[in-house]
Parts: sequence; C-alpha cells; structure tokens
Amino acid sequence: MNLPSFRRSADKQRLPKEKRAQSGTRTVLMGLLFSGATAMALVYHLLAWRGQVPSASMNLGYDLLLLVGYAALWALLAESFRKKRPSPARSFWTITLAAGVVILITHVVLLIASPPASVDASLALGFDLETGAPLVLATVFKTNILGLLYGVLAVFLMLRLKDLVLVKRTRSSQRNWYLLVGSMVVTSLSVLGMRAGSVLNQAQTILMIVSVVFMVVCSFRLSWIVFLSFREKVAAIGLSMVMMLVLVLGISIMRDSVISRWAELPGIYTYVQSFSYPLSMFSSLAAVFGILYSTTGVLSLLFHLPTSGEFQARAGERAAMQSLTNIVGQVFDAERLHAAIASSPVEAGVAHFAWLAIADPESGSLKPKVVAGSKIDPEEVLDLVDLDALFAEATSSRNPIFLEEAMRDHRVRAKASRAISSMVVAPLVGRNRVIGALFACKELVRGFERDEIDTISILAAQSSLAIENAGLVEQQVERERLARELAIAREVQQRLLPQRVPEVRGLSLAASSVPAQEVGGDYYDFVDLGDERLGLIIADVSGKGTSAAFYMAEMQGIFHAVSRLAPSPADFLHHANVAISESLDKNVFVSVIYGVLDVRKQEFVLARAGHCPAAAVGIDGKARYLRSKGIGLGLAPPPLFRRSLAEATIHLQPGDVFVLYTDGIVESRSPGGEEYGYDRLLDVLGDIRHEGAEGIHDHLIEDLNAFVGDSGDYGDDMTLVVLKWHGPHSDVPLESHGVAHEPALA
Amino acid sequence: MSSFSVGFRTLGSVQALDLRGELDAHTAAELEAAIEKCQQDDSLQILVNGANLMYISSAGLGVFMAHIEEIREKGGDIKIAALQPKVYNVFDLLGFPMLFDITESEEEAVTKFGSPAPSA
Repeated sequence: MNLPSFRRSADKQRLPKEKRAQSGTRTVLMGLLFSGATAMALVYHLLAWRGQVPSASMNLGYDLLLLVGYAALWALLAESFRKKRPSPARSFWTITLAAGVVILITHVVLLIASPPASVDASLALGFDLETGAPLVLATVFKTNILGLLYGVLAVFLMLRLKDLVLVKRTRSSQRNWYLLVGSMVVTSLSVLGMRAGSVLNQAQTILMIVSVVFMVVCSFRLSWIVFLSFREKVAAIGLSMVMMLVLVLGISIMRDSVISRWAELPGIYTYVQSFSYPLSMFSSLAAVFGILYSTTGVLSLLFHLPTSGEFQARAGERAAMQSLTNIVGQVFDAERLHAAIASSPVEAGVAHFAWLAIADPESGSLKPKVVAGSKIDPEEVLDLVDLDALFAEATSSRNPIFLEEAMRDHRVRAKASRAISSMVVAPLVGRNRVIGALFACKELVRGFERDEIDTISILAAQSSLAIENAGLVEQQVERERLARELAIAREVQQRLLPQRVPEVRGLSLAASSVPAQEVGGDYYDFVDLGDERLGLIIADVSGKGTSAAFYMAEMQGIFHAVSRLAPSPADFLHHANVAISESLDKNVFVSVIYGVLDVRKQEFVLARAGHCPAAAVGIDGKARYLRSKGIGLGLAPPPLFRRSLAEATIHLQPGDVFVLYTDGIVESRSPGGEEYGYDRLLDVLGDIRHEGAEGIHDHLIEDLNAFVGDSGDYGDDMTLVVLKWHGPHSDVPLESHGVAHEPALA
Repeated sequence: MSSFSVGFRTLGSVQALDLRGELDAHTAAELEAAIEKCQQDDSLQILVNGANLMYISSAGLGVFMAHIEEIREKGGDIKIAALQPKVYNVFDLLGFPMLFDITESEEEAVTKFGSPAPSA
C-alpha cells in the first residue's frame, strides 16, 4: 500500500533544490505524454477519416496509448492538487463549474455541425457505425474535443473527490479508494479496443457493477462534514445538489441530445465512445461516482444540519481550552490571567456568565476574593451569592459543586437584575492547596449538561496550572532580580575596600578579602594620618551576608570619619563603639583591630576590640599573638568598653611581620573537619617570615587552600592583611606591594 | 548542615540549658527559642552548660547578647559554664568574660546565682 499522499506532500515542501528540479522534469514529462496522446488521437481519427481503416491491433494500441496519456494527466493534476487542498464547498463548486463548462462546450460543439434530423444513424452521428470511421472532417474534431473534455473532466472530478473521501483517512478508507480507482481502471481496460456503440458483455457488466459497489462504499466517506459550521453545511448542500444536477444533466444530454429515430443508441456519448471506449467508460463511471457522492453528501449534510450547533459548541470548547492552554504558557501577569480564566467558560459557550474567586494568599486565610468576572461585575457577585459558603464547600470537597436549581439553594440570592438559575463551582486545585474556584452560571434551570460540567472542570484544572505556573515564573524572576542586586552589592562592597595598598617608607603591605557569600561583613582599610603615620583597620561584623554587609559599610564610614580625629587606637575604638552601637542590632557586634604605625618613631601601636589577635613574628622567628584586652564593638556599654580596652605598643625591628586576619581564616576546615587554627597560622608564619609582605600573604593563602583541599569548608568571610617592617632606611621594592580582593581560593 | 540541640534541665531555681553540637548562624534560632521559652516560663536564672558545645560562631554568640539585657533588667542572668577550651577562646577573644559569668564548672555557676550578678 502506498504512503498517505498528504505526508508526501508535506515532505515535498522541504525538498532540496535538485529534488524540486526533478519533480519539475517529471511535470514536463507528464505534460508531454498527455499532449502527445492528445495529438496522437487527433492524427488517428484524421487517418480514419481519410479512409484508412485501422486494424483491431492498431485500435488496441491507440486505446492503450491514450490511456497512458490520461494516466499522465492524472499524475500531473494530482501533483498540482497536492499543494493546496480546497475546502469541501470549493471542491463541489469547482467540479460543478467544470462540468457546467463541459456541458456548455458540448452544446456549442454539437450546434456547430448539427446533423440534419431524420437521416440515418451514421449520417446523423457523422461516422460509420460499423467501422467507427468518421464520415466528415467535423466529426473528427467533435470526437476529439468531446473526448478530451470528458476525459479531463473525469480525471478532475476523481481527484477532487479523492481529497474529500480521504479526509481523516483510515487504512480501510484508503484501501477502498484504491479499490474504487482500480476497479474503474480495470472496467475501462476491459472495454479496450471496442467500437463505439458496442454493447457490454456480461463480464464487463459485472466489472462495472463492482466499480459501482466501491463507489457506494467510498460515497459514505464524508468525515469532512463534521468540521463544517452550519452555514458551510448549508452552502455545501446547495453546491453538492447543483453538482449532482449538473452531472445528471451531463450524462443525460450525452445520451439524449441527438434526436433521432435511433434513440436507443447513446447520443453524443457515442462521440466519446468513438474517441476511446475505455476513456468513455472511465468518464461515465466517474460521473456516476460524482452523482453518488453528491447524493450521499446532500443526505448526510441534511442529517447533520440539526447537530451542527452541537459540533460548533464543541469547537468553541476546544478553542477556549486552546486559548487557555496558550495563556498557561504565556501570561504571567496575574490580572490578565485571572480575566482570561474567568472568561473561559463563557467563551467556551458553557456558561452565560462566570467569575473567578481566589483564596487570598496574602492574608493566609481561605477567604475568597472575586478577582475577575466575565459578563458580570466582580462587585455584583457578593450580592448574588454567599461566596464564602460556596467557596468553602468547593474547596473542601475538591470536586465541582453543581446547583441544578440554584434559586432554591439558600446560598444563592434572588436578584431582579440577574438570575442565577443553575451554577457550577469548580475548585482550582493546585499542587498542595486549593487556589480558588471558578464559578460558572446559567440563566436556565438545569442548564448544565454533564459534558459542560466536565468542560468547566477541565478549564479549572488548566487554570490552576496557569496560576501556579505564573507564580513559579514570578519567583524565578524575583530570584534573578535578587541575584542581580547582590551582584551589584558585591561590586559596591568591593569598592569600599582599598583598591591598592598605600606606599609607606620602610613597610611592605599585602591584603585580600573574600566574602563567603556575595557580600560579607569583613572590612580592612588604611589611612594616611600624616607625619608618616599609617592607620590601619581590620573588622569583622558578626554573622555574614547582607546584614553584615551594611554594618561593614558603616564601619568604613566610621573609620574614615574618626581615624584622623582619634589621638590613639584606643580612642578610635571607643568612638567607633559609641558610633556604631547606636545602629547595631542587639545580637550583632563587630570585632576590630585598629593600629597606628609610626615610621619616624618606628613604633606600632594597636588596640583589639574582641578581634582575633594579630600574629607577630620577628626576624629571630619568635612568633606570638598580640592579645591585648578588649571587648567587641556593640557588646558593652561605653564606660565598660573603654575601661576594658588596652593598647599594645611594639617597637619595630627590621624584619618584623604582622598578620591581621578574620576568623574565616583560622576557622576554615579541612575535609576531616579540623580547623586551620591559630597554631598552624603561627607555625607557617615562622617558616616564611623572611619573604616580603606579598610573598607571606600568598604563601599563607596557598597553605590555607592546601589545608582546606577540594572538599573542605571555608565557612566564613576571610580577610588577610600582612605588614612587614623593613626598617626606615631600607629600599622596599615597590612592586612587592600588592592587593587582591580575590586571592586564588579554591 | 551542622547539628545542634538544647536540652532543658532544672537545678532548683536555675534553668540549665545543655548545648550540644555546633552553634552557628543556622542553629542559633534554636538557642534563641530555648532562651525565649525560659523567659516565658519566667525562669530567668539561666545556666548554659557548654560541655558538649563543640563550636560557636559569632552569630551564636549574638544570641546571648540579644537577651541578656532584658533578663538582667528583670533580675535574672545568663551564666555560662563548662566550656570547651576552644569554645571558651572564642568567648574570651570577644571579651565575653567581662560581660558574663563564665565558670569552669556547673556547680560554680549555680553557686554564683546565689550571689548578686556582676554589674554590667
């Protein structure tokens, strides 16, 4: 069995150029075959007219060649019809038109060389009934023109009807169609070489009957009818009736228009027969099929007319469902979505008016709120029904409620302006809660059929999906927005940190800071206090993330405002404590080390407010922590804070190294859960103390990365500041100064 | 995710909270809830036993700060006892010993509840 032709046609549109060229060649070839056959027929009949009586075998050959020509025409037309499939009405219309034109031309042709009445049959018809040879030249042309017309009409009609018969094709319908065409071809072939006017034998008659049986079978393939609207059906009835009449007329004039005493002989039909008996057989069979098909078509259309409203309603439901499905994918604006949902039952034709109530998630209650109405004002709803009670029932049962006689229900109030006579309440069930309910109303008692309630339920299900979908998208958009905001916050925060370390005589510096999340609570900075004095700070706001980042920013402000005014580190921390305690949450505090390095005095004074103690190592390798007393900022009232604060003063020796850091460094964990710890920091520092500040910094980070490994945990914001005192007279290579906010932490 | 739990014990008029595991930003809420419960029950003499507390982060320390003021205003106190050395170090670095009674043993803390709280 062949492939369905529509699939082939669909493929054809995507054919590459060479294939298209190939089909073009085929078209030309088919055209040539057909025109060749037509020309051949003309020559053949001219020769017959000139008295050359064709032999039986010549006659057979002629018939065969002619049929090949018409098969080519079939292929040619089938190809061009594949590209565009007309509507049923258009098919009927074109067939009717073609048949009408053929009849008209037949008439004209017959009028041109009308034989005189009451002469003998041969003269009347214009050819010898015994031999089939034309008696006059006009007969040759008449025969050819009429033969051509009827042949083309037959092919055209069959191909047009094929499109209709094979709408919604099934295996069997396709098989029946091929059987019909096959039986028609076989019947035509069975009369090969027969002379015009010959009477069919029994076998041929049986074949013809078989063809008619298949015609009847195929005539009941009328699936296209259900897709037609009422109007289209009426139009199709009219057109197919006209087509039927025209075809009947066509056949009858073929038989009757020659008025002679040989009335038992077929009339013009004999011209076509004398053109080619098989072709005339085929075309008359095609005409019979056309009549049969249009007859069943008319009858079926008539029967379908009353139900077409029903079908249209179905189509409406489908369309509404379709539009709602589109909305599911596209509309994320709550208001539009609600409006679309509320109007879906009305658009589907299953309700006169409808509204959508949503359980208000803002208030967390299940109290419904009418968010949209179709053909009804949402504010009107509360006057008409006890919304809360209906909503509660629908949401608790999770199944649609159906009020057949709504007026009798105590929850529905009678209103002069509008009557709710029947109502369906379909809950919108989401993944884990009932979102809302779709209320569909009719102004008729018992207005809802089972299938309409089903439709409303399906609409409700679709709607809940759409609403949840919209919610998810909103969340996604929100997440992305937050991510963008945080990225910006990170950038801003990085700008609060020094972009480069300052240049100080005799001192090399290196520093870096990495937040655990996008933003963090670590801070470090330097300030030039004048007279070759460098102020430096390292601070750690408790907690991490956004809240810590805000306090970090505040610390930055305090540092730049207070550092130049405070005579000593302890004073600075005291003022900072007073300033920041105002704004800190009760459970938030800031640990700080503030130090002042005086190049001229070769002195480093620092004070520690609850911060991890600075590590110090001398040139001799003696490493220690500078653990002066002090409470974190924001923990104690100012007097206690100030009282408990002590300063440490270090007289600088060339080679002294100071490391300031936040707890993220010492609390980083190895894959085994062990903390990096204070001891390891000091040990490593002792080993690498001879390097410059940047070398020490990088080595510490390297060691930390190695310790944490691939599966360890950095845990918190991490900041590392390294100072190395080379002595006031040493030339510190400036390129060893470095600052990086994002060292190569794995 | 770190694990953390708070166990409740009554030692006479003192409400003991046994901390176990790691107290960080994620688990701080649990201690927060425990202390709030004590306040609701009006047991304002709270003894936090840290014998099984393996780690404390700055967010964990914040919990103590959040409530101490109010508890002291009402005449109660939070005393911290039996901390692991590493955990004590964290308290110590921040200066908590100047703000809280931090004792080596639970008994010591219970005894201190008998005497007036340090003026903070």
